[in-house]
Amino acid sequence: MVTSIIRRLFQAIFVIVAMTIIVFIGVNVIGNPVDILINPDANQAERARVIAHYGLDQPIWKQYLMFLQGLLHGDFGDSFVYGRPALGLILERLPATLELAITALGIALVVGLPLGLYAGLYPKRLSSKLIMSGSILGFSLPTFWVGLMLIMVFSVELGWLPTNGRGPTMEFLGVQWSFLTGEGLRHLLLPAFNLALFKTSLILRLTRAGVQEVLPQDYIKFARAKGVRESRIIGVHVFKNLMIPVVTIIGLEFGSLIAFSVVTESIFAWPGMGKLIIDSINLLDRPVIVAYLMMMVMLFVALNFIIDICYTILDPRVRLDAKA
Amino acid sequence: MTAKILQRAAIALLGTIAIPALAGAQEAPLTIGMSTTPTTIDPHEDSSAPNNATSRHIWSSLINRTGTSGNEPELATEWKPVDDTHWEFKLRDGVKFHDGSAFDAEDVVASLLRARDKPSQGFASYTRNISNVAAKDPMTVVVETSVPDPLLLNSVSRIRIISSDCKDASVQDFDNGKCAVGTGPYSFVSYQPGSALKLKRNDDYFAGASHWSDVTLRFLPDDGARLASLLSNEIDLIESLPADGMSRVESSDNLQIINGQSSRLVYMGMDVSRDVSPFVKATDGSALEKNPLKDEKVRRALLMSINREAIVERVMQKNGTVADQFVAEGYAGHSDAVEKVPYDPEQAKALLAEAGYPDGFSVTLHGPSGRYVKDAEVLQAVGQMFTRIGIRSQVEVLPWSMYSEKYSDGAYSIFLGSWGVNTGETTNPAVALVATRNEEKGTGRYNGGGVSDPKIDETLAKASSTLDEAARTPLLEDLSTETFNNLWLLPMHYENVVLGAKKSVTYTPRGDKYTLAYEVKPAQ
Repeated sequence: MVTSIIRRLFQAIFVIVAMTIIVFIGVNVIGNPVDILINPDANQAERARVIAHYGLDQPIWKQYLMFLQGLLHGDFGDSFVYGRPALGLILERLPATLELAITALGIALVVGLPLGLYAGLYPKRLSSKLIMSGSILGFSLPTFWVGLMLIMVFSVELGWLPTNGRGPTMEFLGVQWSFLTGEGLRHLLLPAFNLALFKTSLILRLTRAGVQEVLPQDYIKFARAKGVRESRIIGVHVFKNLMIPVVTIIGLEFGSLIAFSVVTESIFAWPGMGKLIIDSINLLDRPVIVAYLMMMVMLFVALNFIIDICYTILDPRVRLDAKA
Repeated sequence: MTAKILQRAAIALLGTIAIPALAGAQEAPLTIGMSTTPTTIDPHEDSSAPNNATSRHIWSSLINRTGTSGNEPELATEWKPVDDTHWEFKLRDGVKFHDGSAFDAEDVVASLLRARDKPSQGFASYTRNISNVAAKDPMTVVVETSVPDPLLLNSVSRIRIISSDCKDASVQDFDNGKCAVGTGPYSFVSYQPGSALKLKRNDDYFAGASHWSDVTLRFLPDDGARLASLLSNEIDLIESLPADGMSRVESSDNLQIINGQSSRLVYMGMDVSRDVSPFVKATDGSALEKNPLKDEKVRRALLMSINREAIVERVMQKNGTVADQFVAEGYAGHSDAVEKVPYDPEQAKALLAEAGYPDGFSVTLHGPSGRYVKDAEVLQAVGQMFTRIGIRSQVEVLPWSMYSEKYSDGAYSIFLGSWGVNTGETTNPAVALVATRNEEKGTGRYNGGGVSDPKIDETLAKASSTLDEAARTPLLEDLSTETFNNLWLLPMHYENVVLGAKKSVTYTPRGDKYTLAYEVKPAQ
């Protein structure tokens, strides 16, 4: 277990270093951040002063070394655009993204798992066929279009839910959450549903496929022959075995919900990290891009680790330390 | 102690008197959907339009900038140049910050110097000539400039006056509200970066309290989100009404479109300096002996071939107004001597033949995408119109982050550019766009075509040091005449300011495109 953690940490560090180098070179290739940041009225001397202030007059390798030095002191640098520490900027938006991602995943699980199970157990029923064809819509309709439709129907036409934005927040564990207030929940509903749609279909189809794969297995037949209750067969023998691929997908999808839900965040004007990173890329705000990507690498490494632990719980034959 | 008790008694007394008055001023919330997001609440970090518009709600400046670029008394009630390099400002008596502390010359000195010395240099273009700011007495400030600066009044109208207590505050201190204390029409309530700024009416605002008791600025850069908020009646007014939503707003019973002209000029720049321009070729793709764009006749033919009316009407869906020079009528430096160039493709062909290009030539046009209103589409249209008179055009558009550096450094032959004339007079665009490039003097920074016209440089130098309005105005007009009669730039259009609003409010759009809650009025 411990060696496994250490090995993963080293992998993460390697990926992070590679990523920072890519971002440093990449941003440099795209253009000069100063041209975008600076007031067009500024003259050359003022421009030079700004360039020097951001350290952009140094050769790229020197800028990189300066960045590494700051990093060792826990300083990711100040955002070029916002003039504040990049890490703080990201962390400030983390709660908004987290609550959206968790709610969306929650909806996807609560809807997707039972429906998938049902469709898998009774594949011949008309309702199962309806569920399956419905799920095709779920992942073939583009998110932005569904989002706009949801807004048009539920906000503009019916006026039930607010069109966009994050509702009022309440402090819990020192962080501002909006799902704790009624108005906040109302704001959360549409974007979470929009994000959940694709994930629901995915989980639903995976679950169904899993059920159909597990059901004809010998151990299920044996359990039946032994006279095990049907609810126990489904709840324990079928469910546990079909969960392994589902857990993998949930983990990865949760990561992408946090890191890349840009489309939904834009349409619903949700003040999350996705919007921040897109803005930062457009403005070549290198400190924010680097800090964000570093956090995401850590997130994905951590998620993968959690997924692996889940494996061992679901399937005792899997050992963490075993060479993969 | 006694003073405090007296003060409390006075407040209590005032309270009882004020009750009937307050009954009239009931709750009047206003929510505005902004199309751009400010980077911070700190009014001195960056002087971009969204930041300056946002800060104007909380703070005021010495001088108020009107929607048509005029100067009005604000925190300063009077001002005059003492000599060529000294300006004296008399401050308004009895002004209080939102936290109750009194406003005086100290605050002005601290603010102007803070704006000047911030490492981000966001206000450099306004503060570069300010060599010193001193308080002559608590209600008089003297600003010393390094050279005679006729634009000083415009400059100080941009710089918000913060409390001197906050002169060393960081950006963070403003964003969390600690230093977000001004003398403006609204006081700070809360700020969610990238999402919303909530404000409350300042009942003591010296220019008269706002009609709106609670103002929320929501930052909604996504067109669909902004439009949906308006259509669902959540928001009273949105900036940049998306073209796709116009018909829906028009057909609605309680919504309206508010249209006004901005001072942002969109133009086509051309390489007029190099003998061989990188993207101009003969029609068969071989190199040309000389650069046709250096010939005034060719430039005139180009402009004649562009049907600007149609572009504004169709491509931009009326989001623009055809332009002939830097500024529209009514702004300082608008010249009647600028010859209007009509749309006339036949005449354009004749001019091309006269210039020695009867078969035309081929060229690649460059432009940004998503930076200006329908920029890529406008360039496409221009390309087709050029092709019609025999100039085979290819169009290449790039994201702004890649384009901005290249076009200003003269990497292209013909390119789409734009300038927001935020001083409301012509030296501002002339210095940046058509003055000879000179690193030391800081001129011609965006002169991507390499224009170098001694007459313009001379006039600019004179205008930049003339304080006397009457002597300055003809110089400003000369700049327009010289630039646009030589067609150093091809004027395209001024972008329009298009807002969508409920019919319950009225608003007159400003030339600088700022949307200020204080200027939004309830409909009668």
